[in-house]
Amino acid sequence: MKRYECLDAAAAIVTDQLVVTNNGGASTEWAEVGLPEAHLQVKTLGLCSSIGLGLALALPRRGVIVFDGDGSLLMNLSTLPTIARQRPANLVHVVFDNAVYEASGGTPTQTADGEAGADLAALARAAGIRNVHAVDSVDGFVSAFRSGLDGGGPTFIHARVEAVRKKTKPVPIDEVENKYRLVRYVERTEGISILARPLPASVAGR
Amino acid sequence: MGATDTATDAEQVLDGILAAGVTHVATLPDINLVDLIALVDRDDRLVHVPLSREEEGIGIAAGVYLGGGMPAIVMQNAGLLNTCNALTTTAIQFEVPMLLLVWYAGHLGDNAFMRLGEVTEPVLTALGIRSFVPSDAADARRIIPEAARLSRQSMRPIAVLLTKAVLRRFAS
Repeated sequence: MKRYECLDAAAAIVTDQLVVTNNGGASTEWAEVGLPEAHLQVKTLGLCSSIGLGLALALPRRGVIVFDGDGSLLMNLSTLPTIARQRPANLVHVVFDNAVYEASGGTPTQTADGEAGADLAALARAAGIRNVHAVDSVDGFVSAFRSGLDGGGPTFIHARVEAVRKKTKPVPIDEVENKYRLVRYVERTEGISILARPLPASVAGR
Repeated sequence: MGATDTATDAEQVLDGILAAGVTHVATLPDINLVDLIALVDRDDRLVHVPLSREEEGIGIAAGVYLGGGMPAIVMQNAGLLNTCNALTTTAIQFEVPMLLLVWYAGHLGDNAFMRLGEVTEPVLTALGIRSFVPSDAADARRIIPEAARLSRQSMRPIAVLLTKAVLRRFAS
């Protein structure tokens, strides 16, 4: 199974959920198939699940999806007990495990080496995550992903994938534009104001 | 210093946090922060997110802001050093406001962690993060909402460094 096959299948299921991707192949692959306005492309290795948790806590009635990687999760394992303790029912945390640091040259991660490799689904279960799925087929992924989107989470999906990256076009925006695009989308779809800032006195005419 | 004075110090800092419009507080304890963290945990107006490592707190804070909340992170300055990459490549690179409420170990009145005390303000300066050191709890109560306003207006994290003059529980 390839990561982009799962992402293509996910894109056909996702509706208004906010999607946070790690700084790896999932980021550019999702950019090709997902709604740009709902997509945050994280740049700090390990932090995407924490950012997704923050979004899920701030917007408890909005679905939040995190597309993470094994190298990224291994760098921020404390995210698992932290998510478990908060119990966000609206958070779906998908980890595409290709057993290598794909974006930085293909060095094996701690999930490689078969029996000796770390079992990320077992780690999530041990951390107290409520719904944990381990999948190795697109059908299995779709089934687990749908059940996660139905709520009752937090949901953690460990998807074993090949270390293959789809050839994608570069995404022509920087982080600040990515932030404004997402926030404006949240404001519009939630009917809230996030970026309202008081005007300087000279402009406001005080 | 009596127990009432202790509670008052932490309560004044909490009042500052509430007046700042903070909605979510991520915390990792220093012994000098336990009264404040207990108040945060009990307060229904705040969502408390206990952390296991401070760097995840920067991510949680960024998500909270992008979802319409106002985040604060309560941590020690050792923890602040743990957050340098996240501050740089998430909070600053994406221009996300957040309040950093940092126990200033190794500052005046402390007996340990002098190396931490020495590097704290230079590291914040190097990261491009402005910081303020309140003179006492009442000053912290006044500064914290202003720091939050600066943070929102400048789209940057702002640090308020809390010393033994602010949270006096273990003053000798």
